Amino acid sequence: MSAGTAPSRGGFRRLLRAEWTKFRTVRGWVLGLAIAPLVIVTLGLVAASGSHTSCGGPTDVCPATPVGPGGEAVDDRFYFVHRSLTGDGGITARVSSMTGHIRKPDVTQGARNVVDGVVPWAKAGVMVKDGTRQGSAYAATMVTGGHGVRMQYDFTQDIAGRPGGVSNGSPRWLRLTRAGDELTGYESADGRHWTVVGTARPAGLPDTVQVGFFVASPGDLTVQQADFGGSIQQSRFTEAIADFDQVAVEGETSGGAWERDDIGVTMEPDGSTPHHPGGFAQSGDTYTVTGVGDIAPLGDGQRIESTLSGLPAGLVGVIVVAVMFVTAEYRRGLIRTSLLAGPRRGRVLAAKATVIGTVTFVAGSAAAGITVVVGTRILRSNGNPVLPVNTFTELRVIAGVAALAAVSAVLAFALGALFRNSAAAVTAAVAVIIVPHVLATTSVLPVGAAQWLLRLTPAAGFAVQQSIPEYPHVISYYAPSAGYYPLAPWAGLSVLCAYAALALGLAVVRIRRRDA
Amino acid sequence: MKRHLSAEWTKLRTLPGIGWLLLAVVTLTPAASAAAAAVVSCPPAGCAYDVPKLALMGVQVGQAIVAVLAVLVITGEYGTGLVRTTFTAMPRRVAVLTAKAAVLTGVTLFAATGAVLASVLAGRLILPGNGFVPEHGQPLLSLADGPTFRAAAGSVLYLALIALLSLGVAVAVRDAAIAMGIVFGLLYVLSAVPLMVSDPGWQKLLWQISPMNAGLAVQATTRLSDLPLSPWAGLAVLAAWAAAALLCGGLLLRARDA
Amino acid sequence: MHATIEVHGLRKRFGQTVALDGMSFTVSPGHVTGFVGPNGAGKSTTMRVILGLDAADEGTALVGGRPYRSLRTPLTHVGALLDAAALQPSRTARNHLLWLAHSQGLPAKRVDEVLEQVGLRSAARRRAGGFSLGMRQRLGIAAALLGDPPMLMLDEPVNGLDPEGIVWIRGLLRSLAAQGRAVLVSSHLMSEVEDTADRLVVVGRGRVVADTTVAELIAAVSRDRVRLRTTAREHATTVLSRAGATVAGADRDVITVSGLAAERVVAALTAGAVPFSEVAADRATLEEAYMELTRNAVEFRAADAEAGR
Repeated sequence: MSAGTAPSRGGFRRLLRAEWTKFRTVRGWVLGLAIAPLVIVTLGLVAASGSHTSCGGPTDVCPATPVGPGGEAVDDRFYFVHRSLTGDGGITARVSSMTGHIRKPDVTQGARNVVDGVVPWAKAGVMVKDGTRQGSAYAATMVTGGHGVRMQYDFTQDIAGRPGGVSNGSPRWLRLTRAGDELTGYESADGRHWTVVGTARPAGLPDTVQVGFFVASPGDLTVQQADFGGSIQQSRFTEAIADFDQVAVEGETSGGAWERDDIGVTMEPDGSTPHHPGGFAQSGDTYTVTGVGDIAPLGDGQRIESTLSGLPAGLVGVIVVAVMFVTAEYRRGLIRTSLLAGPRRGRVLAAKATVIGTVTFVAGSAAAGITVVVGTRILRSNGNPVLPVNTFTELRVIAGVAALAAVSAVLAFALGALFRNSAAAVTAAVAVIIVPHVLATTSVLPVGAAQWLLRLTPAAGFAVQQSIPEYPHVISYYAPSAGYYPLAPWAGLSVLCAYAALALGLAVVRIRRRDA
Repeated sequence: MKRHLSAEWTKLRTLPGIGWLLLAVVTLTPAASAAAAAVVSCPPAGCAYDVPKLALMGVQVGQAIVAVLAVLVITGEYGTGLVRTTFTAMPRRVAVLTAKAAVLTGVTLFAATGAVLASVLAGRLILPGNGFVPEHGQPLLSLADGPTFRAAAGSVLYLALIALLSLGVAVAVRDAAIAMGIVFGLLYVLSAVPLMVSDPGWQKLLWQISPMNAGLAVQATTRLSDLPLSPWAGLAVLAAWAAAALLCGGLLLRARDA
Repeated sequence: MHATIEVHGLRKRFGQTVALDGMSFTVSPGHVTGFVGPNGAGKSTTMRVILGLDAADEGTALVGGRPYRSLRTPLTHVGALLDAAALQPSRTARNHLLWLAHSQGLPAKRVDEVLEQVGLRSAARRRAGGFSLGMRQRLGIAAALLGDPPMLMLDEPVNGLDPEGIVWIRGLLRSLAAQGRAVLVSSHLMSEVEDTADRLVVVGRGRVVADTTVAELIAAVSRDRVRLRTTAREHATTVLSRAGATVAGADRDVITVSGLAAERVVAALTAGAVPFSEVAADRATLEEAYMELTRNAVEFRAADAEAGR
């Protein structure tokens, strides 16, 4: 019982207990920390209920988005010329030409403005795939429009080979061999000297697979400033045309003619005419394949964190309560009583910060958990495709958002202890946590400036809610306004933590030096 | 009323913090405008930026300081108990609030005019260096241009209305932290909500009632027909918010014990 | 104009707590009226209601015959000191008074006069936040005197003052009353007002328990008692009992006699030839009278606090 002999950990526990009692006995604070999660949940669920998607057509049901072997939503649309292969084997082909068409924004209204060219991630190459179902496992070696030779598999994986494109003067030989579960990609400039591009073990590849050659060409992305802030992204039609010759297949194959599939082609409203079809033509041993679409993870669309639209509003509430938790001590001189009860000032501050952080984390977990889980369910039941993520990612988003709230509370609390003035502290906290995020995601700021804001300011912590990663081998609008943060989730949260630690450190120094 | 004004003016000018806050409005607003002007560029092919709006971007930062100033004018009195002295000296509370609002408006208009003129000047000096030149289809920023003048004058009024909105909220809740939370929520958070809903009808409505989005419509000079509200109608929405906040604050002020 | 503060039938409750329960009294000019009662008796609430800060649920409070909130320049009618700590700490003492002067249309010259009057001239340009409690109290009194009002209301003005300050304020209050002003001074200690106040309004549990003069109050509650020192205790007891007094033994050679005035006691003893060495009239103090009056009204008694441990 005597304070002089008690171990210091017990002392801190008593401080924690005292601060917790202090917190829970002020009705306004408890109410404030109950309202903040309520705002997050209510705004999230109301927004989710109000969001409907319908795809027209007779059933008005949107086609299911294909899902890759890793559980992620994928684009799987390309022209595939193939035959079946059982057991080990491989395919070799030469790509001697790669051309294409790109539709640019209309110059004169209504007239299609199509120019010749290939987009950087247009793909032509050889592939081994688990059947022709969209989203099934595969591995492929390919030449691209602007990124040289690549080996890609299972949508998310990409290995770079040698740079350079394809032309009549400089064709590229590509080879893909299967040995057990392992596939190896090769390339060659002359068909004699081969270089390994990479190896892959696609998930759950069966004994019999489809082997062949393919062409794909992702849409051409243009981004415009939107009038209300934010951006308008448009993806326009492109197609790539590649010539394959000297095609050779080894192993136990089905033989006969090549099968041809325009995988993932959509139909015009009449239901029978393909929309932007691919194509195939044979002239001697040369096969000319036209492909539209992409084989890649899908990056745009609603995400589980789309339900967290109320997060900034909730955070403002958290900030207000956290600031008041400390400035109220100064306003009526309660701090003197607190410091008499616990003269080691740094520990008093640490105990208070621990209490406000923990309480906010619990409230934040509840808010994020309910909003993400229920909100996603509502979105899906309203016909909105929500990009699927695995359970681990979902838990990370929920725990991360709770941590974001908790660390924001600690930062706001520390600012309150530094300034001893609630208006100044709330302003500072909102200015460094909320405003940079709002500016970066909704304003007319250029993408570069917005990304720097989310690297350098405490608002970097918002990165923790990003559930869909950025893929370098997919062209998408990787901007904060599209939900892509410049820092990895935990790295972003670490930036916020660093700011909170710094502010808390300064507050401790200040409370030690200054008279209470 | 003259005595109320005189007392509130003396009270305001003898608070040391007020001078710093006004200085912050006059310096940080153009600083933020200059920063925004520095990070954009206009290629020879032309660009779609609304140049006056860009040059007045600092208003979005300046409004935070104006809000702090307005909130402190009243919560400073509640926090110390001075408000009882005030109401003992001037028992007509609504008249006190009116005098406070008038003095605050005057001070804000003064600081905002300086801040906006400095922002326009910063834009005029920085933007041509980033390609905003007549050859790229962007005339030089000038207050002689009608829409530009409207954007600048409207921004001054916008800041004054933000001060009144904040004052009303602060009178109603009496606590600086809560008042700041509500004001920032109304301004920054509400402004981002329209971007988070997908339904276009809701999006437009939320945009129209958001005090910051609607109020800042007064800064728009291009593609006016695409805006959900005309510039002056947008400012009127903010004025309605300010009036509602002041009315609410005034009624509570009269009904409550001091 | 007549400088009278009239309070009639004030009732007010805060949630479950009854703060005022039919408070009625009058403060007339030319006197210092002491407003005494234990903590929580409703003194400050009454003053806030008089000043229009709080609204009563029932009843009226008039200053000079008018509700406070109808006054155009109220500080020239009533000067009040409620809470000396109610200052914005960053403002100087002079500027604090200056805005008050402007609110009443008074010239800045008047500010310097009252600062001089309360002895704060040298501290006029210092931030009020750095003032001691006593200096803040003086600044609050300066604010009350600013409008040269015919009525003054001071809530616990002695709080935080040093002995010199206490002497000063007592003199000030008496001189203000002597100038014909109505002065209401509250305190929770009778000893603080008994030397200053001519009249007393004693309150407890939100109502007036005595509205009287100091002399009347003492007379009302004190019974005459005489302390008698004698070597012949039994003889004295017999003689005094026969004369109609009640006698109680206190010490070995001291007895307490009640029911008989001191002169009668001396006469009886002399007539009975009882030797005595000392006769002292043992008058009840005002403090005892006050305790007697408010005994039932005290809300926070020490015994309760003890029991609550």
